[in-house]
Amino acid sequence: MCATYYMTNGSTGPNELFENLKLELRRGCLTLAVLTQLRTERYGYTLRKALADDGLEIDEGTLYPLLRRLESQGLLVSQWREEDKRNKRFYRLSPDGEQILGQLLTEWQRINESLNKILQEA
Amino acid sequence: MSTPKNPLEMVDRYLQAVRFWLPNTRRQEDLLAELGEDLRSQIEDKEGELGRALDKDEISEILKRCGAPMVVASRLGPKRQLIGPTLYPIYTFVLKMVVLWILVPAFLFIVGLVNLANSNGDWGKAIVATMGGLWSAAFIAAGVITLVFAILERTHAIADIACKWDPSSLPPLEKSERKKSLFQTNCELVFNIFGFVWLLLIPHHPFLVFGPASAFLGIGPIFHDFYLPFVLLAAAVIVRLVVMLARPQWRAFALGSQIAQAVATLVLVNAILNAAGHPSADWHPFVTVANTLRGTDKYTQFVKIAAIVNVSILISFVGTWIGVSIAGSIQTWEFLKYIRKQRISHEPASLQVQ
Repeated sequence: MCATYYMTNGSTGPNELFENLKLELRRGCLTLAVLTQLRTERYGYTLRKALADDGLEIDEGTLYPLLRRLESQGLLVSQWREEDKRNKRFYRLSPDGEQILGQLLTEWQRINESLNKILQEA
Repeated sequence: MSTPKNPLEMVDRYLQAVRFWLPNTRRQEDLLAELGEDLRSQIEDKEGELGRALDKDEISEILKRCGAPMVVASRLGPKRQLIGPTLYPIYTFVLKMVVLWILVPAFLFIVGLVNLANSNGDWGKAIVATMGGLWSAAFIAAGVITLVFAILERTHAIADIACKWDPSSLPPLEKSERKKSLFQTNCELVFNIFGFVWLLLIPHHPFLVFGPASAFLGIGPIFHDFYLPFVLLAAAVIVRLVVMLARPQWRAFALGSQIAQAVATLVLVNAILNAAGHPSADWHPFVTVANTLRGTDKYTQFVKIAAIVNVSILISFVGTWIGVSIAGSIQTWEFLKYIRKQRISHEPASLQVQ
């Protein structure tokens, strides 16, 4: 429906439209990936590296505001600590975060299964 | 730009440039510190990989990849919308109402006419003055409306009202457009047939216009000059209404013929106003004093009455011109909306996502 809207209004080209839809698709996935990675304590750069190593690149301007948001929602806890003579902010999942992550992963599995089913039928 | 002795200084300069675009809050300082740490970690990693310190160009490459300071600041900074998605539809509705339905008609039919009247024949100057005034008024109105909505957005005033809405206060269902328009067309047809018959009878029965005053008032020269166009227009309106009743599905005809009727009426009224000229001492374009009364004692008194009636008719024609212009503008707007809707509904299905 979104695509139809953009096309009929003629304000967004196919490439831009794809980028917008990709962003929407990535948004929820990134949150899930970040929460999952933070089951182990990490600081920003190592988290970014871990995600990139698994094929999910995320830039600084996206990751740090996302971490702040998740922390303000009570899903993460953070702490500034010195490591290798430099101050770094370490993040890990809070108890609430762990609970929500469990629910999100169940939901993700359900969506994934449905989507696979839909794609096989198509 | 100066070349730093220590290439790492570029990171500090970069962070300083990002800070410039961010609000001075603790949260932003925290984010900047984290960004700095991330950049230093990237440099450190790269240095570990290469086994040497990075030079200016290599550090510059890392900073470039991170993005221009202003862009990075926009991502790190608080996300603010002047008018959020909840208020935006109401905002655009109010803006359209004020600009299109209040300012434009007011400037076209009131300010414009006043400017034309005071222009001493210089129509170009009057049009420029009107359009200039309209632009300024629209600009100020848009600014004020935006400001009010921005305040409402900040204070969450509408959101609070929206939370308290009551489903029982919803307006009743409107009757279907087709039923309403059929009833309306029927009424219009009946009134127009009566009007047409009345128009045909007038030349031989002035009583139908003047009532008892027909004893001393007569039909003026303009009526005779424009009688035939009036009759033709009235007949065309009846034909239009009959076609609309017979073919109610012809929406484009209904809308288009309505505009044509408005334009024809405007042309006719305009011609009448031009032919009538300006009121003067011996000015009786619409109504004259019966010839049989010439030379009688009361003739002067009847001439005064005729003058008042003539001015009243002239004013009513001006009013008609303004009314039909407004109606024609609305009808044209409806017609354009209809065409746009039709065009969208005929978009090829291939554009939809599979």
